[in-house]
Amino acid sequence: MNWRSTFALALWLLAPPVAGYDELILEAERKPATPLVIHAALDLPYARPLLEGFHRRHPQYTITFRNFSTLEVHERFLTDPTKADVMISSAMPWQYLLVNDGHAQPVETPTTEAWPTWAKWRQELFAFSFEPIVMVVNQDIRRRFGPVTSHAELLALLREHGQALTGRIVTYDPAASGAGYTYAIEESRLSPRYWDLIAALGRADTQLVDTTGAMLDGLADGRFLIGYNLLGSYAREAIADDPDLDWVIPDDYALVIQRLAFVPRQAPHPGGARRFIDYLLGTEGQRVLADAGALGAVHPELDGPGTATDMRRRYPDGLRPMPLSPGLLATLDELKRQALLGRWQREFLNQPVGTAP
Amino acid sequence: MIGRDSLHRRLLTWLLIPMLVVGSLVLWQAWLDARHTADRAFDRLLEAASLAIAEQAQWQDDRLWLDLPPAALEMLATQHDERVFYAVVDARGRQVTGNAALPGDPRPDSDDGDTLWYRNIDWNGLSLRQGIRRSRLEDWRVRETFEVRVAHTREGRDNLAWSLFRQSLAYLLALAVLSLAALVIAIRLALAPLTRLRRQIRERDPRTLAPLELALPRELAELRDTVNELLVRMRRVKANQERFIGDASHQLRTPMAGLSARAELALRQSDPAAWHEALVAMQATSARTSRLAIQLLSLTRLDNPEYQPDLVATDLTAVAREAVKEHWQRCQRQGVDLGLEATKAPVWINGLDWQLSEALANLIDNACLYGGTQVTVRVTPSPPSLAVVDDGPGVTPDQRLLMLRPFHRGHQQGHGSGLGLAIVDGIARSHHARLVLDAARHTGSPGLVVALCFDGGTDARPTPRPHASPPPTGKEETP
Repeated sequence: MNWRSTFALALWLLAPPVAGYDELILEAERKPATPLVIHAALDLPYARPLLEGFHRRHPQYTITFRNFSTLEVHERFLTDPTKADVMISSAMPWQYLLVNDGHAQPVETPTTEAWPTWAKWRQELFAFSFEPIVMVVNQDIRRRFGPVTSHAELLALLREHGQALTGRIVTYDPAASGAGYTYAIEESRLSPRYWDLIAALGRADTQLVDTTGAMLDGLADGRFLIGYNLLGSYAREAIADDPDLDWVIPDDYALVIQRLAFVPRQAPHPGGARRFIDYLLGTEGQRVLADAGALGAVHPELDGPGTATDMRRRYPDGLRPMPLSPGLLATLDELKRQALLGRWQREFLNQPVGTAP
Repeated sequence: MIGRDSLHRRLLTWLLIPMLVVGSLVLWQAWLDARHTADRAFDRLLEAASLAIAEQAQWQDDRLWLDLPPAALEMLATQHDERVFYAVVDARGRQVTGNAALPGDPRPDSDDGDTLWYRNIDWNGLSLRQGIRRSRLEDWRVRETFEVRVAHTREGRDNLAWSLFRQSLAYLLALAVLSLAALVIAIRLALAPLTRLRRQIRERDPRTLAPLELALPRELAELRDTVNELLVRMRRVKANQERFIGDASHQLRTPMAGLSARAELALRQSDPAAWHEALVAMQATSARTSRLAIQLLSLTRLDNPEYQPDLVATDLTAVAREAVKEHWQRCQRQGVDLGLEATKAPVWINGLDWQLSEALANLIDNACLYGGTQVTVRVTPSPPSLAVVDDGPGVTPDQRLLMLRPFHRGHQQGHGSGLGLAIVDGIARSHHARLVLDAARHTGSPGLVVALCFDGGTDARPTPRPHASPPPTGKEETP
């Protein structure tokens, strides 16, 4: 069995998203070929090293990776739950909802059994990345007002120099962005002072956008000086070579979101799907995540840059991964959403109904 | 022991089967209890969660409004990661919010106001425990009713139930092992006297008939007493036999010695007339001896419990007539008047004619020997009986039982063997008849009546075949 383990990449990158998604196909290197279909909300640059690593290890799979928006990956699954072998998304409440409703099958391998309990649910849903929500601060702010390293400092800055910052701050619009809404509801649960911050942001005429990308664009071209609540994994890559921008994990608290993966109950190729999950959670796949740096590896044995272990050491109290618990279901409750958005709007527009002090 | 019938096994089996049945019932009950307890414990969570949700309900913008507390859902998931479902339904049955269209409960409101129902449901292939709370808004004006339905999967409940059940199982198993050990020891102890009894019987001298002497529990003491009674009877029988053999040899030895002496005496003489006289005397003695031997044989045969001849219908009158005919001449020679007293009609009984003839022969002989001058054979039809009546000196009542013993002579000076009545008694027993000895009359010489009283003779029917069945055994034939 001394055959060359070269591997060829067959890659179709549908550059303009005609069908609304990117697709990456790795052809099998060995017969018989088994298909493996992964539907994900995970951009190709992050997914590619993972997929290649898996393919090197299991060349018998023809991997079809499709990258959607979080909303689309969810809706596609509800339309036809028999299409995908693995579902990956950063929209934690939606992933949780699907698994809670019994759409997932358990994956029981030594790796998944040993996976930390805080990062899995019922052996069905696995959190494999560790992505803090960050602030991006222009060096100019630091020079003028000193460092901003926490929510409290940001609030103080807004209260003292709100005038100077008017229109120069950007954050998610929770009404338009699912991610923004999720962060808002989590932060409001963490502390009532969140509402003070929202009120202060409102007074400073904070700009509301839909995506991390839009925030990064505005920060890069100097329209905004402070970006609040950016997805750390994307922000870090984008500002790496911009000397004007600082990447700040708030040290009082920082939300951490995690990509969640599960194998659908009606997955057409569950064997390959289980192997993929096993790889994704194993030291090999996690090492790929840590080296890529953006997503952050969860595996407790891994240490060094790009690992949860390292981040936890640097921010011993502040990191708040969203718990994999039925509380996520409350996030999806429509009445709750309306209630929260109503409050958020009131606070932001400074029309408090006897709530804010 | 295995595969063979034994008291140990029987006791064990019949004690173990009920134990197993009871054990299974207890286990089943324990499982039900465990489930019930687990359900009761976890239903508190459903109660608290539904209450937490119901408390958040309010009237806002002309509709039922709810700010869902995440903690209400969190508390439904224990460390077993149960799936959680909830739904809030308004008075018209419309789902206000929720992550699942959980079914309602048809049960009506309970009387104490706040209605709360629990039940197990199968929902989309999931086995759920559901809690349903019917509540009412406590607003200033609006009194809208609504229903909070919460449900979760059973992992935590099953886990608790199973761990409770495992505890019961462990207790029960320990109990079963102890009971089994106690049972085995108890059976061994209870059966120990049996072993002692067996050992004593085995260790006895096989020739001894001494009674068993050992302390035993009541049930076995009865067995021991029964065995002892049997031994007593065997001892008595053995003593009888030994005496009989002794008497018989004594009876045979005396005439034999007489014969021998007479022959010796005759041989010393040379007179042929003396020889002739001796021979005549010897012939008479040997005839008597031969008759004695025949009687002994017949008595032995009658006493044999293994010998049970089939009784056939027999006419007593015919038997009596034959006997009179046979013995009349001999009696006549001895000066005894032998007569028959019978009806013309036959008297049927179940019997053997040769044995009855033998009995009559013995009775007639006895009557002649012991001084009767007038002997009557009497047959009465109902109840059927066969009797020999004489006018001799008779027998006193206290002697009558003794007369039945072999070799017991009523009068020492007689020539009889002392076996006659014993033989008659044996025949009476084999015919299930009563042997009655009585005085013939109450004045003068009492005389003696010896009667065989048969029972149920009247319904015996003559059979078409000849009534003389051949004597069954291969021994010498007596009659």
